[in-house]
Amino acid sequence: MYWRYAVRRILYAVVMYAIVIFIFSALFNAVAETTQIAQITEQVNAEVRGVQQASQMQPEDIQQWREDRRAQLIQQYHLDEPIVSRIFWRTLNTLTFNLGQSTQIRSSAGENDVWLVIKERIPRTLILFMTAVIIDVLIGVWLGLRKARKAGGLMDRTTSIVTMVVYGLPSWWLGMLMIMIFAFTFPIFPSGSMHSTPAPTGGFANFVDLLYHMALPVIALVLLRFWGRAYITRNIVLGTLQEDFIMSARARGITERRVLYGHTLRSSAPPIVTMSLLALLASFGGALIFEGIFSWPGMGNLYWVAVQQNDVPVLMGNLALTTGLYIAGLALLDLIYGLLDPRVKVGGKA
Amino acid sequence: MKRKETSQLRAFWNEFRRVRFGIVGLVLFAVFVLIVAFEPLLMPYRDANERWRDMTYWLDSPRNALPVWVNWFSAKDYAVAEKLEATSVTESQVGTLRMMTMEFDYDFDYERPPTDFQLVMTLTGNASLQMEVIRPDGESLNYQRSTSSSGTRELRISIAQNLQDKVFRLASPFADPDVIASENPETIDAVATMFAVAGPSMLRNTSPLQGTYTCRLTVALTGEDSQLDSAHVIIAGGVAGWMGTDASKRDIWSGLIAGTKWALLIGLLTSFVSVAVGVVYGVVAGYFGGWIDSAMNRVFEIFLSMPLLPILIVMSAVFKPSIWTMIIMMCLFFWVGPVKTVRSMALQIKENTYIEAAKALGASHRRIVFKHLLPQLVPYAFATMALSVPSAIVYEASISLIGLGDATVVTWGQILQDAYASGAVLQGTWWWVVPPGIAIALMGMTFAFIGFAMDTILNPKLRTR
Amino acid sequence: MDNILEVKDLELHYFTQKGVVKAVDRLSFHLKKGETLGVVGESGCGKTTMATALLKMPTPPGRIVGGQILLDGDDIMPLSENEIRRRVRWERISMVFQGAMNCLTPVYTIEKQMRETLQQHRQMDKAETAERMLKYLNLVGLSEDVLKRYPHELSGGMKQRVVIATGLFLEPKVVICDEPTTALDVVVQAEIINLLKSLKEELGLSFIFITHDLSIEAEVSDRIMVMYAGRAVEIGTNEQIYGPQGSAHPYTQRLLGATPRLHEEVEELSFIPGTPPDLLDPPSGCRFHPRCPVVMERCPHDDVWVREIEPEHMVACWRC
Repeated sequence: MYWRYAVRRILYAVVMYAIVIFIFSALFNAVAETTQIAQITEQVNAEVRGVQQASQMQPEDIQQWREDRRAQLIQQYHLDEPIVSRIFWRTLNTLTFNLGQSTQIRSSAGENDVWLVIKERIPRTLILFMTAVIIDVLIGVWLGLRKARKAGGLMDRTTSIVTMVVYGLPSWWLGMLMIMIFAFTFPIFPSGSMHSTPAPTGGFANFVDLLYHMALPVIALVLLRFWGRAYITRNIVLGTLQEDFIMSARARGITERRVLYGHTLRSSAPPIVTMSLLALLASFGGALIFEGIFSWPGMGNLYWVAVQQNDVPVLMGNLALTTGLYIAGLALLDLIYGLLDPRVKVGGKA
Repeated sequence: MKRKETSQLRAFWNEFRRVRFGIVGLVLFAVFVLIVAFEPLLMPYRDANERWRDMTYWLDSPRNALPVWVNWFSAKDYAVAEKLEATSVTESQVGTLRMMTMEFDYDFDYERPPTDFQLVMTLTGNASLQMEVIRPDGESLNYQRSTSSSGTRELRISIAQNLQDKVFRLASPFADPDVIASENPETIDAVATMFAVAGPSMLRNTSPLQGTYTCRLTVALTGEDSQLDSAHVIIAGGVAGWMGTDASKRDIWSGLIAGTKWALLIGLLTSFVSVAVGVVYGVVAGYFGGWIDSAMNRVFEIFLSMPLLPILIVMSAVFKPSIWTMIIMMCLFFWVGPVKTVRSMALQIKENTYIEAAKALGASHRRIVFKHLLPQLVPYAFATMALSVPSAIVYEASISLIGLGDATVVTWGQILQDAYASGAVLQGTWWWVVPPGIAIALMGMTFAFIGFAMDTILNPKLRTR
Repeated sequence: MDNILEVKDLELHYFTQKGVVKAVDRLSFHLKKGETLGVVGESGCGKTTMATALLKMPTPPGRIVGGQILLDGDDIMPLSENEIRRRVRWERISMVFQGAMNCLTPVYTIEKQMRETLQQHRQMDKAETAERMLKYLNLVGLSEDVLKRYPHELSGGMKQRVVIATGLFLEPKVVICDEPTTALDVVVQAEIINLLKSLKEELGLSFIFITHDLSIEAEVSDRIMVMYAGRAVEIGTNEQIYGPQGSAHPYTQRLLGATPRLHEEVEELSFIPGTPPDLLDPPSGCRFHPRCPVVMERCPHDDVWVREIEPEHMVACWRC
C-alpha cells in the first residue's frame, strides 16, 4: 500500500519539476539566448583564429567558413527553430542536466561546465542546511513538548513572546552580527568559508576544521528558527491532548509519561513533521543569502557570485537545481508523513 | 445576516483586546504609522529620500561617525559634528578692493579630536583669501590662495586634505625628532595633530588640546560682481546624528526614518494583495468544487513547487525591477499561503445548512460567496496578512542585500546592502549594520504580535467547528 | 442492599474565565450489585461530567470540590492520583466511551493499545496478554485479526466492540457506558445492546448506562436516574418511571411525553418550552422551575433534593 503511495508521490514530483522547468525556460528564454549567441560568437572567433593559423585560407574563404560554422552551431543549439521549439529544447536540456557553459565562473577544478560548477557545491549546502535542520528540529520539538506540558505557564508565555520577537529577524543579519562579535571583536570563530587555508590534512583534523567553520553559521541559523518549531509543536501537541483518545488512555490508567511521549507525541508526529519541514523549506531561501554572508561555498553563495559577475547560464542552472532540491524536499516530506501516519501507510477501511 | 457578521467581528475585537501582546503590537504599529506621517519633522536631512545617492548632499557630514549618544557612555568623548556660523563679520573698503573678514570660534572640549576641520565658502567672481586657524596655545596655521572665475562656486578647504604640509610644519618644532624622521605629511593624522597638545607626542599618540580655536577668513574681492555669498566652518566630528553616519557620510537616522514608509508599504501592500487573492482563490475552489477545484488545485501545486527566494533572485537579476515590480513579483508567489486552509474552511462552511437554505431561496453564487463565506474568513485573512508582512519585508531586504534591489529608493535593505558591500561587517561599523536590522526586526515583531494574537483567538474557534 | 457504588453529595465545578459552573451539584445515588442504572437527561445536564467524576478524571478546568464516592465500601475521594491510576481506574471501575470513533489512538494497533492497558495493570507476559485479549475479543464477537489493525481500518460497530472488550478485560466491578450506541446505526445498536446484556449476565457486572435515548434506557436499565442541570431530579425502577402509573417529576413526565410511541396512538408530541439553563447563572431554587408546567410559589425559592416518596423511588420536587 505504501509503496504505491511512494511511487505515485515521486512520479508526481518529477512531473512537477518538469513543468516548473518549462515555465522557467519560457520566462528566461530571451536572456538565456542572448548569452548563448554571444558565447557562440566567441567560440567561432576562437576557432577562426585557430583555422587561420593552421591553414592559409583567403580572407573571403575565412569569412565563409565563419558564417558556415556559426550557422552550424546555431542549428546545433536549436536557435533557428520557432520559439516554442526552442523553449522545449531548453527544458529538455535543463532536465538532463545539460546546462551549458558559464561565462565567468569556474569550478574549483577550473571547468566551466555549469553543471560541474554547481554539482560540487550541492553537498556543501546540504551539509550546512541539514545539520542546522536536525538541531533545529530536536531542540524545537523538545522545547515545544515542555511548553505544552505546562501550557499557559511562565516558561510557555515567555518563550512564545521570544518567538514573536524574532519572527521578523532575518537570519542573515544575525549572521552579520555574530561575525562582527565572534569573529572580529572576540576572535573565537572564523569569519567564513568552509575550511581554513591551507586546509588541514588527515581525516580527523579536516573534520574538526570543518566543524569549526560550521559552528557560527549553524548557531546563527538555529538560534532564530527553533522558536518557531517549539511554538508549532506546542500548539499541535496541545490540540492532540484535547482529543478523546488521550482522555481514554488516561482513563485506562496509562501513566502520564506514556500518554505524553507515546500516545500524544506519536499522534502529533505527522503534523509536526509536516509543519516543521514546510517551515524549513521556506527558510531555505534565507539560508541561501546566509551562505553569502559566511562565504560558505555552496549553492547559495553561487547566487551571489553569479549575480555579481552577471553569469546568466550559472544563474539559470543554479535556479534549476535549487528548485530540484526543493521539490525533492517536498516529496521527501510527504513520504515521511506517509510513514508516520498509519492512515496513509496502511490505507482505507477493512 | 449583516448583524450576525458585524457582531461576530465585534466579538472578535473584544477577545483581541484581552490578549496583551496583541495590544502591544497595535501600539507599535501606530508608532510606525506616526513615524511615516511625521517623516519630514523627524529627519534632520529633509531630502534624504531623493538625494540618498547624491554625494553632494552629504558633503558636510563626517564619514563613519558614531552616533552622538556614544558620548554618554564613553570615558573619552568624541568631538561632535558641527556647522559653525561666523561669530563676527567685518567689511571694509581698501581702494578698489572690498575686504571681508569673518571669524569663527570653535570650542573644543572633548577628549578625541574631530576627523576633519573644513572651511566652506561660496564665492562669485575673483577673490584672494587667507585662512588662519589659531589654537588656544597661540600657534596658528596660515593658508592663502586666490581664485578667479565668473560663476558662483563652492570652495572647501580641509585640514585633512589640503593642509597636511602646514600642519606638519607646525608640529615640527615640538614633536619627537625620531617620529618626524619616520613620518611625512601624507602619513600623519593632520587634524589630530592640529588639535593636539604641543609637545613630543604631537604627531603620534596625541593628547587633546582643549580650548577655543579661532578661524579667521579674510577675503579680498576684486571686480564689481565679486561676492562672498556665505561661509561656514564644518567640524567633521567623531560623532554625528542620532545613528551616526556611514562610509558615504550619509546620516543613518534619516535613512532609517525614510525606510520606514517603504517597509510599511512593501509589507502591507504585498500581504494585502496576496492574501486577498489567495482567500478568493481558495473560496472559489472550495465552493465550486468539481473540475474548477481540480484545475485550480493543479495550478496551485505548481506554484507551491517553486522556491520563492531563488526565483526572486533570478527574476531580479534578469529583469532588474523597480520596487513596484518587485512587489508584484512577490504577490505572484505569496498568494499561495492561505489557499489550502481557506479552501478547507470553505468546504466546511459549504456543508452548513444555511448555505443550502440560501441556495434554495435563490441566492446567486456571488451573493453566497460574498455575504456568507467571505465574512467568516475575514479574521483568518487578517491574521494571515499580519503574519505575511514580516516575510515580505525580509524578502525585499534579501534581494536588496544581494545587490538586486531598487537603488532609487531608500529601504532598510538598501542601507544594509551598502553596509555589507562597504565592508562594514569587517570594519566593525556596528552603527551601520545593527540599526537597520533592528528596525526590520521591530517591524516584524509588531506584525508578529498582532498576527499571533489573532491566531490564538481563532484557533479554539476553528476547532469547535 | 448490596451497593457496589454509592455516591453522596458529589460536586464538580468548572472554574472558567467567566465564572464557576456547577456542572454536578450535590448529586447522590447508589448502584446495586449486578444491576444496570440508566442515567438520562438532555445534553449538558451533566451526565458525562458525572462519569468523569466517578473516575476522578474531571476535564480541566473542572475540579471535584466535594462529596464521597464509595466503591465497594471504600471512599476513593481521598486517594492520590497515583493510587487511583494504579488501583482504581480500569481495575475496579472502567468506562466504555461515547463516540468510539475517536477514543482509540490512531497511530497504534489495537493489539498494542490493548496489551499496553493490560500490562499497565497486571504482571502478564506476552502469551498471557494474548490469551486474555483473545478471550474478550471473542466474547464481543470479534476475531483475532482485529488485533493487527489500526483503528481507522475498523467500522464503527467493530470499534465499539473493541472498546467494550477493553473496558471489560480487567474484570472491573463497575462499568460506565457513556452513550455507547449513539453514533451507530439501528441494527448495530441492537447488537451492541444485546451484547451488553449478555455480558452483564455472564460476568456479573454492574453497569451505569448513560444515554439520552429513552427507548434504549427502557430496554437496558433496571433502575433509572433522571438528571437536570447537574442535579438528580428523579431516581426509580424501570417500572416506576416507564410504567403505566407514570413518573413523578414533571420533567420526566414531559421527557416521556416527548417520545413517540410505536404501540400507542399519539395525538401530539409534547415538548418542553424554553432551553436548558445556563449553568453559569442557574435558576434559583429548583432549577427546573422556569420551564415547569406545574410550578408553585415555593419552587423558585427553595432548593430541592431527591427524597424517597415510595420504596426505591426518589424525586426532587415540592409537589411530591
